[in-house]
Amino acid sequence: MDEVATKIIDILKKHMKEPRDDIDTSTELTALEIESLDLAMIVFDIEDAFGVEIPYNANEDAGDFKTVGSVVDKVKALMADSGSDAASASA
Amino acid sequence: MAEQTKKRRVVVTGMGAVTPIGLNVEDFWQGLREARSGVSELGGFPLEDLKILIAAQIKDFDPKEHLRHFKRDKIIMHADRFSWFAAAAADQAVKQAGLEVPFVDPYRTACIVGSGAGGLVTFEKAYRDLFIEKKRATHPLTLLRIIGSSASAHVGIEFGVKGPTFATCSACATATHAIGTARDYIANGLVDVAIAGASESVINYGTMKAWQALHVLSPEGCFPFAKNRNGTVLGEGAGILVLEEYEHAKARGANILAELCGFGMTSDAQDMVNPDIEGPREAMKLALNDAEILPTDVQYLNAHGTATALNDKNETNAIKAVYGDHAYKLAISSTKSMHGHPLGAGGGIEAVACIKALEEGWVPPTAGLNEPDPECDLDYVPNVGRDLKVDFAMSNSFAFGGLNAVLVFGQPPA
Repeated sequence: MDEVATKIIDILKKHMKEPRDDIDTSTELTALEIESLDLAMIVFDIEDAFGVEIPYNANEDAGDFKTVGSVVDKVKALMADSGSDAASASA
Repeated sequence: MAEQTKKRRVVVTGMGAVTPIGLNVEDFWQGLREARSGVSELGGFPLEDLKILIAAQIKDFDPKEHLRHFKRDKIIMHADRFSWFAAAAADQAVKQAGLEVPFVDPYRTACIVGSGAGGLVTFEKAYRDLFIEKKRATHPLTLLRIIGSSASAHVGIEFGVKGPTFATCSACATATHAIGTARDYIANGLVDVAIAGASESVINYGTMKAWQALHVLSPEGCFPFAKNRNGTVLGEGAGILVLEEYEHAKARGANILAELCGFGMTSDAQDMVNPDIEGPREAMKLALNDAEILPTDVQYLNAHGTATALNDKNETNAIKAVYGDHAYKLAISSTKSMHGHPLGAGGGIEAVACIKALEEGWVPPTAGLNEPDPECDLDYVPNVGRDLKVDFAMSNSFAFGGLNAVLVFGQPPA
């Protein structure tokens, strides 16, 4: 796994009540037992970590975010758009 | 007019307190017994240019210790401090009541937990982040932490309350309005059980500046009814009761701590800060009438007693207007002299003090009362509490804006 994926998985684990070690890009987000409030905090942390703004609306179907991999892809796309790179994502 | 149906009797079967002098009822009561002061040097945030440098802060509350065992521990851990206090106090109260949770009849249960101001500490942090730190966003849970009804929601979620759940908001009368309202809901048959009280945690730089600007804080301490009193001292905490319909409590063999037999509320409709005699007087009278007792039946009165120049004198005169000669025989104390002024939570914490006084036959003192104000000439139980058989105790809460609420507690029904 690349750095973006590793970082995103770390963020997900941080917000899980019982973090698991078997999470990879194919893991479905619904399998992580993330509570409603956690999602807002996960989005916030990912935005902070990668310096992007995720166009996520809690009122809409989060089709882009079915698996961990889809989140990773979305973040990479956003980073490419905004011209930032993973190297500067240490904040 | 049809004859009014007889109201159902309401009893107290559980209570919880989180205060600067004790994080549970037992320690709080021991603090009152020792006339311990919860006032200390202000801390926990940069004091910058503040001039008032004392408060009755809770400095030893570890949310993990008090809330880790919650079924929904993650949700409550992310909440504001005022919700933590409410949750901890409610947990104590529900445990003491011995009620099965989630409640057997959740729609016949209420959760009325008020707050005078909600999550002001979260609010200030969010605005500092935005305006000073220039952060791109507030913490994502900022809104949920701030809203004044979040404590009632958190408590309701944890204990599975599905009936009326909301917060009251009436400044320093918040808890008393919550308890009185819950009592009426039970008396009138809407619910059988209620978790009721209030919580407050607002001590931060902005709050201190706002109170300082109103010039009602003492730089030295909280000395109600004393000649040298020079203002109140901000406090924080929570006081929460479990109320129950009498037959409901009896049927399950609950240990009944007291009866909540009277509730009165009025508004001065006069001024935001200057209290009136009429409003408090009428609230006390209504509470006595509601309890169907005479002024002479009351032995202990837990005063609002904020130690501001205006309140203590006005409250003294209002008590005289209600009690006449008996005012001089009443044991009156302001426990704020020990736990400080926890604003909206005051009436909840003071309700606990009244119930303990009934239970133990001992009334708490007014600490720091060495020389009374000549205009405050009643028996305020100076400095040392005393043994006293209490049949009925009254608890006064008189808020900014002239919002008055009064409760009367009695011994458990025979």
